[in-house]
Amino acid sequence: MTNCESNRESIGSWLDGELSPGESESVRLHLAGCAACSEVRRQLESLNLALKNQLTANAAEIEFLPFWRGVQQRINQKRPWHEEFLERCRELFSAPRMAWSVPAVIALVLALASIDFYLPGWRLGGPRNNFATVDSIDAHGRSVALLRENESKTTVIWLYQDQEGENEAAEDATKSGPAF
Amino acid sequence: MKLLKTRPSLVLLFSLLLVSIAGWGGAAEKDPQSVQVTIRSILAANKSDEFDAKLKGMEQQLKSLKYRSYRSLKDETKTVPWQGTQSFEIPGGRLLTVAPQEFQENRIALKVRLTEKDKPIVDTTVTIPNKGNFILGGPPHEGGALVLSISAATP
Amino acid sequence: MELSDWELVKQCQAGETSAFQELVSRYHQKVFMVSLGLLRNREDALDVAQETFFRAYRKINSFQGDSSFYTWIYRIAVNISIDAQRRQKRNPLEFRESMDGVLESQNEVAKDPFTDAHDRELREHLTQAINELTPEHKAVIVLRTLEGMSYKDIGQILGCSEGTVMSRLHYARKKLQDKLSVFL
Repeated sequence: MTNCESNRESIGSWLDGELSPGESESVRLHLAGCAACSEVRRQLESLNLALKNQLTANAAEIEFLPFWRGVQQRINQKRPWHEEFLERCRELFSAPRMAWSVPAVIALVLALASIDFYLPGWRLGGPRNNFATVDSIDAHGRSVALLRENESKTTVIWLYQDQEGENEAAEDATKSGPAF
Repeated sequence: MKLLKTRPSLVLLFSLLLVSIAGWGGAAEKDPQSVQVTIRSILAANKSDEFDAKLKGMEQQLKSLKYRSYRSLKDETKTVPWQGTQSFEIPGGRLLTVAPQEFQENRIALKVRLTEKDKPIVDTTVTIPNKGNFILGGPPHEGGALVLSISAATP
Repeated sequence: MELSDWELVKQCQAGETSAFQELVSRYHQKVFMVSLGLLRNREDALDVAQETFFRAYRKINSFQGDSSFYTWIYRIAVNISIDAQRRQKRNPLEFRESMDGVLESQNEVAKDPFTDAHDRELREHLTQAINELTPEHKAVIVLRTLEGMSYKDIGQILGCSEGTVMSRLHYARKKLQDKLSVFL
């Protein structure tokens, strides 16, 4: 950005008295030495004057008492319920409040999604769905049972020994095997 | 409160930041490089009423098997790359080989083979929820039955 | 001794309607002028000004002195005016002619400072150019030009930062300058 461009952006604020002393001095010095920017300043002053004249031209004095009576009438008048309701809604759901609801909802969703990471096993309404899907199984000739235990939501693949058995201990174990 | 009223751009920036965090977290979850597989070897028997304190987190799962006692024999965790294999030594001269196959919709597909003296006992493909587990049990061991808890989680 | 705005507000909050009447008498002209500057229609501006004080009366208990009373009341007036502008369906040029007629018939029109053709043309183009600004840009122009308010006060009224006020003023003035360069 050239010096003229950056100064022209500040001329309005300089005329309004809104620049710091340092910035103000910088603009003043630039205007003293730049004819083009001085012309911009002149135009802006002319515009400000025209605006002020235009805005004040039609604003004649209004009498207070009739105005106050108008305000009193509004205060004393009972408004239809739907107007009251709409006004309450407008106040409640104002843009700044609504704007903050967006990140609040996002934060809430993230927090819910992260519960399992920070509190593993904790679940709203009971144990997580731990059910596994058995896509294929080959027990190589042995008997196999596929079970789902509802309370703990666990999938169990239970291998039974052959009828002939390979040792006596195995028979004891299978006899008192899982009683689903 | 003044900030809330005068900085709507800050609200937008904060929302974008939160969405980026969610997206980054989600992306990280969608592209896991490997799987952590944990095998817990447990002895289930009817000789006593002991319940090993180390198995506290699995109490409900194990009690459903209706044995009287449960004792932790061995815990092992290994990181396994996708489509790779990893073997776990199981008490009783057995070997459990696990090969993670696929990760989809936060579920992990595992190919599992249990062998005993180099002979396959069971081959199975099971899909479990991420951080979930399934139970493989039944082989006889020390007067009871061997129960394996096979779980997998993406890091 | 004249009571401060805040002391009058406290009396209002305690239930004294006369205190509210005093506040209205202090600010009704200013509120009307700002509304007129934004709406360019006297009836609408009067309506908005009265509505402003009505809403202020209903919400007086919520005013805690975080800002001055006049920035609070101006905020209400500007918000109602901006809402009204968005609902306005009339052609501003046509309406301006009829507004002049109404003012003249009521003998309320101020002495017109623009007497020659050049000034009349400037006034017409200025009116059109102002009406082409968005309500938010028109608001900063009116508050700064008519009331000479600081950027900080304008920011409090419009609910934006001083930087935003500065950039909106710069943009609005640039737009007006571009449209009216022949006349300036």
